[in-house]
Amino acid sequence: MTRPLHVRLLRHLALAMLVAWSAFPIALVVASSFKPARDIFVHPPRWLFWPTLENYAGLATRWPDFFHHLANSAIVAAGATLLAVGASALAAYAYSRWRSRALTASAFSMIFIRLIPPIVITLPLFPAVNELALNDTHLVLVLLYATFFVSLGTLVLRAFVDQIPRELDEAAMVDGASPFGVFRRVILPLCAQGMVAVGVFVLVYAWNEFLFAFIFTTTRAKTAPLTLSEMTGAIDGVEWGVLFAATTLQLAPIVAIVVAAQRYLIAGLTAGATKG
Amino acid sequence: MSGWRAGPAQWAMVAPVQALLVGVIFLPSLYVFWLSLNKSSFGVDPTFVGLANYAEILSDPYFWRAFRNTVVVVLVVVHLELLLALGAALLFAGGVPARRTMIAIMLAPYAISEVAAVVMWRFMMDPQVGMVSRALAALGLPTLEWAVEPAHGLLLAGLLSVWLHLPFTFLILYSARLALPGDLYEAARIDGASAWQQCLRITLPLLVPAMLVAMLFRYVFAFRLFSEIWLITQGGPARQTEVMAVYLYLEAFRYNEFGLAAATGWLMVVASLLLAIPYLRQMYKRMFAPEGQA
Repeated sequence: MTRPLHVRLLRHLALAMLVAWSAFPIALVVASSFKPARDIFVHPPRWLFWPTLENYAGLATRWPDFFHHLANSAIVAAGATLLAVGASALAAYAYSRWRSRALTASAFSMIFIRLIPPIVITLPLFPAVNELALNDTHLVLVLLYATFFVSLGTLVLRAFVDQIPRELDEAAMVDGASPFGVFRRVILPLCAQGMVAVGVFVLVYAWNEFLFAFIFTTTRAKTAPLTLSEMTGAIDGVEWGVLFAATTLQLAPIVAIVVAAQRYLIAGLTAGATKG
Repeated sequence: MSGWRAGPAQWAMVAPVQALLVGVIFLPSLYVFWLSLNKSSFGVDPTFVGLANYAEILSDPYFWRAFRNTVVVVLVVVHLELLLALGAALLFAGGVPARRTMIAIMLAPYAISEVAAVVMWRFMMDPQVGMVSRALAALGLPTLEWAVEPAHGLLLAGLLSVWLHLPFTFLILYSARLALPGDLYEAARIDGASAWQQCLRITLPLLVPAMLVAMLFRYVFAFRLFSEIWLITQGGPARQTEVMAVYLYLEAFRYNEFGLAAATGWLMVVASLLLAIPYLRQMYKRMFAPEGQA
């Protein structure tokens, strides 16, 4: 079916607007991070310019800790991802294959608990974390980030495990495998796609999260978004270039991961949204 | 779908997930309820005051300001987002050039942190140097004075929120649209239905369930709005742009009124659960359905 010319033009216009809406703010900041200071505020913006790394050099001298905080973000995000994906896969296997009213009730409570807003639990956790001397540690963020994604993770992975024929479990069990053996040798390899999807969800959340990092970290475990927010508060019109360099370093790796994992994300979201 | 009878091994398998949820979220929120019935601050032992904290926040004009701001922002953000997402989903379902690249571009804001998004939008909207502001001014339109004008601050936070969350809503609606059976459209074409009629009579009605799910999710999550507001206005000027989460944060960590903050928190929990009732009911029915029907 071919569409009339004006419909085609309108569709292209709409698509161009959507692309501009999504990509323009990102492209602007990334491009500006490579501009010399005098070009940043030129209006209309210059898309052809001689790229420079002076803003990145400025970042390294003005905010040397930022690189340390990027590393903290990586540690916390990796820890939370491993914990959330591992715990969710194990629970998803149990919920997919076994039944009892109590087990179903525990699956339901999982969804219910997930609805509680994160900021509410900072009140009791703040003194508790201090008491346990966990304040400003990677561990506290890993636990928080993993916890807020295990519900979704379990739902999504359950949808994936449901697709694996039960005959495969049974065959392995006849060969003498325990439930944990079946999990390791049959289930894990076959729901790898779902695990990638859930892993990316957690990774994006943990890499970017602001509220918990703001409340529970100060120096040692401080993550990159927190430093970015401090830089945003500190600028007086002159430091924009340095801020853009830091922003670019913070967003580049995670955007690359999301784009690379696009296929898995869509599969995971479909499984989570329609079955969960 | 039937299953094997669960035993101790299965409880061991769900234990890590359940321990995290109960230990990190459930027990602390019960404690918040207890805290909300007490007067409490730093270095002072809590004393039981019954519902006094609730009475106090419910008579605080700043609480109601925060509540109104939250409701307005959530309603505007979620519905604008649904509308844009629906438009984008239908456009993409009708076929676009370089589909994978286009979807990657639509998806990109999902990967951006709230903080980085604030950097981008503050730069574009800066009243002096921002290019969007300059473009608006050049067209003779008013610019966003988000640092001084409360409504503008909320509007900027709302725009940012739509920008950050559109990918999620778009993907839900797009995959729902792709899942619609193609033979329906085949039949409609044979009956001579125009593209417009197909959209109105087939696509939209069949997408309603997915739109409701997306809407509910977004209500619950938009209701938590904190970072966007905090990073743009910190609730100011003069506490005019606070939302519920910002109000709670200030009560707790600036004024050290833990009892009042806890009461606010518990009201937020109740509101979130009320918003999610339709979703919870549907999940409950599906999960506890008799064997063989699930």
